[in-house]
Amino acid sequence: MTTSTSAPTRAATAPQPSPLRRRRPRRTWPFVLLLLGPGAVLIVVFIVVPALYGAYLSFTNTQLTGFAARDPKFVGIDNYTYLLSSSDFLASLGQTGQFVLFSAIIGQTVLGMVAAILLSRPWVRGKGLWGAAVLMPMIVPEVVASLTWASVLSNNSEGTLNRLTGLFGADPTSWLQVVPMVSIIIVNIWRGVAFAMIMFQAALEDVPVDLIEAARIDGARAVQIFRHITLPLIRGPVFLYLLLTTISTVGVFGLVYFLTQGGPGGATRLAAIYIYQRALQFAQIGIGSAASMILLALVLVLGLVYVRLSKVEV
Amino acid sequence: MTTSATPQAPALARRFRRRPLTPVNVVQRVLAYTLLVLMVLFCLVPFAWVVFSSVDGHAGPNVQLPALSFDNFIRFFTSAGTPMLLVNSLIIGIGGTALNLILGVAGGYALARFAFKGRRAFMFSILLIRVIPAPATIVALYLIMVNLQLTNTLVGLILVEAVLQLPVTLWLLKGTISAVPIELEEAAWVDGNTRLQAIRRVVLPLIGPGLGAAAMLTFMGIWGDFLTPLVMLQSQELYPLSIGLFRAFSDYNHVDWGLLAASAIVYVVPPAVLYIFVRKHLLKSSLGGAVKG
Repeated sequence: MTTSTSAPTRAATAPQPSPLRRRRPRRTWPFVLLLLGPGAVLIVVFIVVPALYGAYLSFTNTQLTGFAARDPKFVGIDNYTYLLSSSDFLASLGQTGQFVLFSAIIGQTVLGMVAAILLSRPWVRGKGLWGAAVLMPMIVPEVVASLTWASVLSNNSEGTLNRLTGLFGADPTSWLQVVPMVSIIIVNIWRGVAFAMIMFQAALEDVPVDLIEAARIDGARAVQIFRHITLPLIRGPVFLYLLLTTISTVGVFGLVYFLTQGGPGGATRLAAIYIYQRALQFAQIGIGSAASMILLALVLVLGLVYVRLSKVEV
Repeated sequence: MTTSATPQAPALARRFRRRPLTPVNVVQRVLAYTLLVLMVLFCLVPFAWVVFSSVDGHAGPNVQLPALSFDNFIRFFTSAGTPMLLVNSLIIGIGGTALNLILGVAGGYALARFAFKGRRAFMFSILLIRVIPAPATIVALYLIMVNLQLTNTLVGLILVEAVLQLPVTLWLLKGTISAVPIELEEAAWVDGNTRLQAIRRVVLPLIGPGLGAAAMLTFMGIWGDFLTPLVMLQSQELYPLSIGLFRAFSDYNHVDWGLLAASAIVYVVPPAVLYIFVRKHLLKSSLGGAVKG
């Protein structure tokens, strides 16, 4: 656009420090309040206040129904001590950890990197089509993503995966009952490969081609080039991606809830599902809120690191 | 998308084509294409059931060759409950996007054009807000909505959805508006426009692409949301497609597979079409990382 051409002219003709500071403060505030005020207030009401209110609720025994619903009491850290000694909740945190580690940090990252590298080869034909196919799982709404996998993991002998394993002579398995955790991990890998691929493609673009060429002429094999040249150069973006995918994977709810509803026997009750069930199905708002706060604390630490490291310009 | 942006790439490609391939190269390429085919199969095969069953008059829970008919789609648009799902989804999606954009343009303008105290802090806070997982605040949000008497209403849901997407919109539009030269606005002021008139006549027409990207991202975010409507809506006649699909699927013994698949296709079409448009903006924006999901 015209920004780049007009900026130097302005610097030459206008002695003022910057257009932002030209207006006097007393004329600035009414405009800022008028324009940004409504949005900021709504963000506070619907995002910040819930977080603070949740913190308050986590110290009470609030319930949606029953005696405690009428007269919620302050119970100190009882909810937290209950949760941290509850094997259900600790198991749920552990499952969330497993889910994040295997689906996001390992699965999506490795497959996304493979896809990005393959599609960066100059001789690969039809890059747009390959890329579009990989993007499909990410574009569809999460309910549809779950629905597609419900048919793949179907427990009868005609289910897609059972037919595939049947080719090798295996008996039909009800995947979501026998290996529920593995199943939802694979579903989430499937959903997230595209995002990893996009992030890594952008990073790979910034790696100078001459460096790769030089190493190749020096006789380095492809694996060595990747290990000693490409990887160190894209370490920053990869690390940022890992933080980001960890944060967003902790928040996955619909994808898993649709398929398993936390079952069988709580085997896929991720922290997000634990909170939903406790607070809104069993009506124990206090305990659900305490679980929310524990989850929030974990994510906010990662989020702060992300915001610090991403070095976005304001 | 790939290295073709750099000047060396075409030269490299030409040299590759001229030189006869060594056996190692051949093996490498066969391996690469095999991996690509496997990856694409992994990504696309799950969709087989939805696509085939939606045009199958005798659809069941498994992939089968369809007895081609568009009966499922006709039933989706004519039966009692399902058209309502689409209408609700459209009301929530369009209403939420409109509200989000109004708040976003106003706020983005303030953030781009005024150097007020706390501007940086505000920008970073809303970036941090973006990382809060929805399940962690949904419980308290629900109670607040109960107190405001906004649960089980489309207005309440629209309000919440618009605000949940607002941090990203503010970031995107702040960047877009900053790129519009202030001189254009100053010229409009000199010509006798007020500040607000200048925004409407000069800034708005110039931020079309950024506005479009923000609109599509917001719409897709609202359209695909499952948790918020699941918690906020109790009446069946207010359900959007996401909840309608979930309820229809969970009704174990009476699932109408053909209708379910057709609904899923109807549900997928708007975001899929929008994504094709939004993709370029998405990749270019410095916020690429902040807009997942």
